[in-house]
Amino acid sequence: MSTNVPAVDLHAAPTGERPKNYLNCTTSFMSWAGTLDHKRIGLMYLVGVSIAFLCGGVFALLVRIHLWEPHGMLFSNSGYNQLFTLHGAFMVFLFVIPAIPASLGNMVLPLMLGAKDVALPRLNLLSFYLWVGGAAFATYSIAAGGFDTGWTFYTPYSLYTNKAVVSIGLGIFLLGFSSIFTGLNFIVTTHKLRAPGMTWFRMPLFIWALYATAILQVLATPVLGITVLLVAFERLYHIGIFDPRLGGDPVLFEHFFWFYSHPAVYIMVLPAFGIISEMVSVHSRKPLFGYKLIAFSSLAIAVISFLVWGHHMFTSGQSTYAMFAFSFLTFFVAIPTAIKQFSWVATVWKGSIALNSPMLYTLAFLIIFAIGGLTGIILGALNVDIHLHDTYFVVAHFHYVMMGSIALAFFAGLHHWWPKMFGIMYNETLAKIAAVTIFIGFNATFVPQFIMGSQGMPRRYATYVPEYAPYHQASTIGAIILGSGVALMVFYLLASLFTGKKAMVNQWGGVTLDWHTPTPPPLENFETPPVVTHEVYDYSTLDVETTRTPLR
Amino acid sequence: MSAHAHNDSGHAAGGLQMGHHHVSSAQMFTNVLVALLILTVVTVGVSRLDFGAANMLIAMFIACVKASLVMAFFMHLAWDTAINKIVFLSSFLFLSLLFIFTLADSATRRVDHHANVIKTPVDKQWVHPAALEKH
Amino acid sequence: MSHDGHHAVVIPAPGPEFLPHTVAHHFDTPVQEFQSMKLGFWLFLATEILLFGGLFAAYFYYHEWYPETFKIGGQQLDWKLGAINTIVLLVSSWTMAMGVRAAQTSQKQKTLVFCGLTVLGAVIFLVIKFFEYKAKTEHGLFDFTQMFGAYDLATGQVPWFTDIHNVMVDHTGAPLPHGHLFFAIYVTMSGIHGLHVLIGAGLILWIMKGTAKGRFHAGYYLPVDLVGLYWHLVDLIWIFLFPLLYLVP
Repeated sequence: MSTNVPAVDLHAAPTGERPKNYLNCTTSFMSWAGTLDHKRIGLMYLVGVSIAFLCGGVFALLVRIHLWEPHGMLFSNSGYNQLFTLHGAFMVFLFVIPAIPASLGNMVLPLMLGAKDVALPRLNLLSFYLWVGGAAFATYSIAAGGFDTGWTFYTPYSLYTNKAVVSIGLGIFLLGFSSIFTGLNFIVTTHKLRAPGMTWFRMPLFIWALYATAILQVLATPVLGITVLLVAFERLYHIGIFDPRLGGDPVLFEHFFWFYSHPAVYIMVLPAFGIISEMVSVHSRKPLFGYKLIAFSSLAIAVISFLVWGHHMFTSGQSTYAMFAFSFLTFFVAIPTAIKQFSWVATVWKGSIALNSPMLYTLAFLIIFAIGGLTGIILGALNVDIHLHDTYFVVAHFHYVMMGSIALAFFAGLHHWWPKMFGIMYNETLAKIAAVTIFIGFNATFVPQFIMGSQGMPRRYATYVPEYAPYHQASTIGAIILGSGVALMVFYLLASLFTGKKAMVNQWGGVTLDWHTPTPPPLENFETPPVVTHEVYDYSTLDVETTRTPLR
Repeated sequence: MSAHAHNDSGHAAGGLQMGHHHVSSAQMFTNVLVALLILTVVTVGVSRLDFGAANMLIAMFIACVKASLVMAFFMHLAWDTAINKIVFLSSFLFLSLLFIFTLADSATRRVDHHANVIKTPVDKQWVHPAALEKH
Repeated sequence: MSHDGHHAVVIPAPGPEFLPHTVAHHFDTPVQEFQSMKLGFWLFLATEILLFGGLFAAYFYYHEWYPETFKIGGQQLDWKLGAINTIVLLVSSWTMAMGVRAAQTSQKQKTLVFCGLTVLGAVIFLVIKFFEYKAKTEHGLFDFTQMFGAYDLATGQVPWFTDIHNVMVDHTGAPLPHGHLFFAIYVTMSGIHGLHVLIGAGLILWIMKGTAKGRFHAGYYLPVDLVGLYWHLVDLIWIFLFPLLYLVP
């Protein structure tokens, strides 16, 4: 990699004056609220999406506790409808879609590219405030009567329900543009701000993943924008576009909605794939197997994702021929995805594996995602999906990918880059305990859901027949275990900010450019602009001395 | 921000500062405008005749030609970098996916909205209950 | 921003009536800044295409479902006004392109004149649109005061589409199914387009202000270029809207 980055001066007098980095160079409120620095923006996003995640998690726990008893323990039926809608909307729109690109991506992408910042820093700040605005609308909507349509807002119910659908719709519109502008920024940065010597095939795979994600963000999200706008217009002005009483077609709504929302799930998962690519390489200290395959498979997934949205609509009333086409095309997305999965396993094979907390999450991902992805293919089969649609099988599938894969990859990345972001290490023992707890709790929550789903338990039901009770109760116990693991994680991560040990300069022995900056990085990222002269995962360039040296 | 005026050494002031930029001639712009106006007249004229289902196709085809002129010449895409061309044109490509699948679904759904009849693949006639009451 | 030891790159002004431009500090060269901003803007234009494209998809969808409604509905629109608006926008695209060219060649006065003409075109467009909507209301088709009213479940009648003179009927005189649907899509599409015309006019006025101050010249005309692209997009959308809404029926 770079040959001209100055080494950390180990012999400077420890005067107690901390070196200036992006965290402490300025401290006023406005220097954070009006910052143009991608690292500060990434941190602010991290705080925001973490709060959203915890809120969504609380909603989830309430759902699971309510479902302990067949007649529902805590809420009325309509209250339950609002609760699962809130869980879904908060998690999908406020956490899973933005989290990895906006928090970790913002923090790391310019560093990995050897750039001083993203290409459009003011747009980056605007993206953040659009996210905040969306969150504000979402919070307001809870107070203004809530919404009970499910996170998918299907018409005609979303048109008739006397809830705060318009305000949450406008919130989603803002969140959509936040996502679009982040993607736009990343595409321009990747094209124009790479360090000298960094060709496309010397970019870390996290960048490739974020790039493919950005393409989806830019091309798919506007359709969500127009969809929520039309729903708002329909509710306000009765235009008749989705309302069957006025000549509209609810299936058209589904087409519009899923044209975005299927690529959206790849907006969610591609960055997670990018993180896993980095993790398997660094934590087994081995170059990625099949680098180009993984890079191109990200692009392939992005393109294929536009062709398959109808597989969410197999029972909606669309034409049989359309269903054949969508089901057939859905199977193709398994190919690039499998290429990634096999490449990751091949990377870890005979590598020097460090079983630290990021790696534990990564290994958990490899197992959980295999199940999540394969159950997706099962659901892609038209005849099977007719029976499994709207059952807990679907719920378990998407939680395996969204929670078990994406959230776990997010945790892996969070732990991996924590020392880089803060210059502090968390308690590794507690981290391992939390990781194992989360893995056990997660599977305990969702395996029963696969089973009862295949036996016909419908989703989004506030009550159920008693024969499913053992499964629901097992799932609830699992959720409590999962929640404890997450709570432990939150605890030790926050505690590390106050009492954590100083991290090493290059905590894990990474060789990408992000590990060639001081820890934490200064405002300008690099003291001298890096020049790339080696291939991207060339561990022979690893300066082991720096890796073992703690910060002053 | 400390700065002193720093010329890219070796470059003359003016347009060359930013690399070579193609400045279109005023004549070219005027030619394109004339072409667009002529095509507008053609569109209106053709619409006075009725080609049945082809009306839509002809109108859209002429619109595409006009759009291409605006994109290539007024928006300068013809002289722009490859990536800008790819970005803009791919938006139309992916939009067409939305059109194709949605319209294909609608067209193959075999529903006659007026008569409230749904024809199943085995062509059994199913009549909406509301329609039955009228008989 | 902290001192980073790097000198800022400044593009000098080509003459006394112009101002120099300082390249943003995270860019290394003016070329990088120019190409980055351009690429970013083209990406934004791509999102606008997809945003509007959804509306076009809805139009095609319901055109297939209710061909008679769309045919008769479209015939209620005044194609002559639509054609005039098309010519206005095409000419304004020309004046905008000429304005960008004037900025590229550091001709301050010409830039102002052409941009001003473009804004004039925008105003004419919006005025004609206003009269179109007004005429519809006077012909008894619309009643915009009833926009937020509740609709009648029994008849499916929407409150703002009054059709007093019963124009939405087929050749036998029977009411066309969902007559309001064409106009709902028409108002939504032309309304959102009109909003973009308004925004475009505002952006061009902002450019004129900057031009008067001498900010834009051959060394730095990027904002003029980008606003010009936005304006051409607005024209582009209308090129498709006009035949679909006014001519095909």
